[in-house]
Amino acid sequence: MRPSLSWAWPVIGLLSLVVLWQAVIVGFQVRPFIAPDPLTVVHALWDNRQLLWHNIQPTAMEAIAGFFVGNGIGFLLATIFVHSRRLRAIYFPVVVLFNTIPIIALSPVLILVFGLSMSSKIAIAAIICMFPTLVNTLRGLEAVSHSEMELMKIMSASPAEVFFRLRLPRSLPFVFTALKIAATSSVIGAIVSEWVGAESGIGMLIIQSTFDYRTPLLYASIMMSSALALAMFGAVVLAEKYFVKWRTA
Amino acid sequence: MSGELAIEVSDLTMSFGQLTAYQSLDLRVSKGRFVVLIGPSGCGKSTLLRNIADLLQSTGGTIRVFGDRPQEVRRQRRISFVFQEATLLPWRTALENVEMPLQVGGWAAQKRSHRDPRDLLELVGLKGREDAQPWQLSGGQRQRVAIARALVTKPDILLMDEPFGALDEITRDGLNDELLRIWRETGTTIVFVTHGLSEAAFLGQTVVVMGAHPGRIVETIELDEHKPGNGIDRSSPAFFDITSRLRGVMETAHGGHA
Repeated sequence: MRPSLSWAWPVIGLLSLVVLWQAVIVGFQVRPFIAPDPLTVVHALWDNRQLLWHNIQPTAMEAIAGFFVGNGIGFLLATIFVHSRRLRAIYFPVVVLFNTIPIIALSPVLILVFGLSMSSKIAIAAIICMFPTLVNTLRGLEAVSHSEMELMKIMSASPAEVFFRLRLPRSLPFVFTALKIAATSSVIGAIVSEWVGAESGIGMLIIQSTFDYRTPLLYASIMMSSALALAMFGAVVLAEKYFVKWRTA
Repeated sequence: MSGELAIEVSDLTMSFGQLTAYQSLDLRVSKGRFVVLIGPSGCGKSTLLRNIADLLQSTGGTIRVFGDRPQEVRRQRRISFVFQEATLLPWRTALENVEMPLQVGGWAAQKRSHRDPRDLLELVGLKGREDAQPWQLSGGQRQRVAIARALVTKPDILLMDEPFGALDEITRDGLNDELLRIWRETGTTIVFVTHGLSEAAFLGQTVVVMGAHPGRIVETIELDEHKPGNGIDRSSPAFFDITSRLRGVMETAHGGHA
């Protein structure tokens, strides 16, 4: 495999699935409102471009805002927990317990509290991001060796110096692993929250097009949400390349 | 031994709960000496080094470093430590790792002069590798960077805990040669922990042999007569004699434990 062509392989993989899709539709004579063929979906994407563009915007806002709020809280909690064993002992189990509540079950509760506004969607996207980031960041901040801590002590480094010069840089690979998870799950959070109740958004469009049997539009909406998650994932990968240049071996 | 006392350990006790590392330990190190602590694992040599460095608080007795308590000496940044692992921060280049001690722990407030990090990298034989990332360096080179980092604050005392223990013998011999050269150039007091006989024989002006269960000092051997200026040829009969003598003391210390 030539490295310069490595990007081509996943494209081939994707195209093969599209061909298979087309073959199944034609071969089994699937009716369009059950499942449309790829070309129909492309048409739907183009024909509904204004509708899709109009509805991807609130979803993207919710997902991105939820991404920042949720990861921010997750990171903050990890920072607190790594500095206070007591607070960690008291609240970490509570966070774990809270995380066992299915997000879809929590959505109506949050909509009752925040109303049908955007803030309820942001809250749901944030909650879904928070836990993986908290756990991973905590692991990352603690991924310091005994001799590294002794090195900081022999230099009489302050707690802030230990945090910013040792724990934080050490945690970054772990944090970015969590951010990659959050990039896609924040979009899930935003869409799920729109299912429970929304006036606009890709999630709302998914529900509406399903009920109206506008199946090509449903597929087009799904592709838009996938593209949104992919864009956010790509942004995280770029950020990681910028911030984590070092390696251990 | 003569001159100003650098380290004075009296009646030192260290226990971890029920476990006693050592009891009533005494040790004196004069300024500028190269002292090697050697002994089997479990004799407390690394623990003793950590007590002196204030990385571990002793449970009894006193330690004075140039007359001060270890904690004060550490806070004044007059003590440096080289660990068994180089412990370089992988996101910093070789040069940035050497600069690290000058950026933390209130170094600026100490208002003391320091050594130029670039000069130090040259001193440890890494001129031209300033911008190398730690993963690009060999194990021996990483330990050289760690030594340069330990020297940047011009420490009064340099404590080394089996710094070359993980390296192959040829690399270790080479680094031992350089360590003696650096010690002569800087005049720093060095306490060096090892479990290697030939390393101890080669480096030490004074070799303190420790025994285990409980940790204790078995014998303190002064080698000044045998190694004028603390230099010796590893293939000379004199070196063989020193090693044999050390081996004898070590075997007695081990007793039935071998």
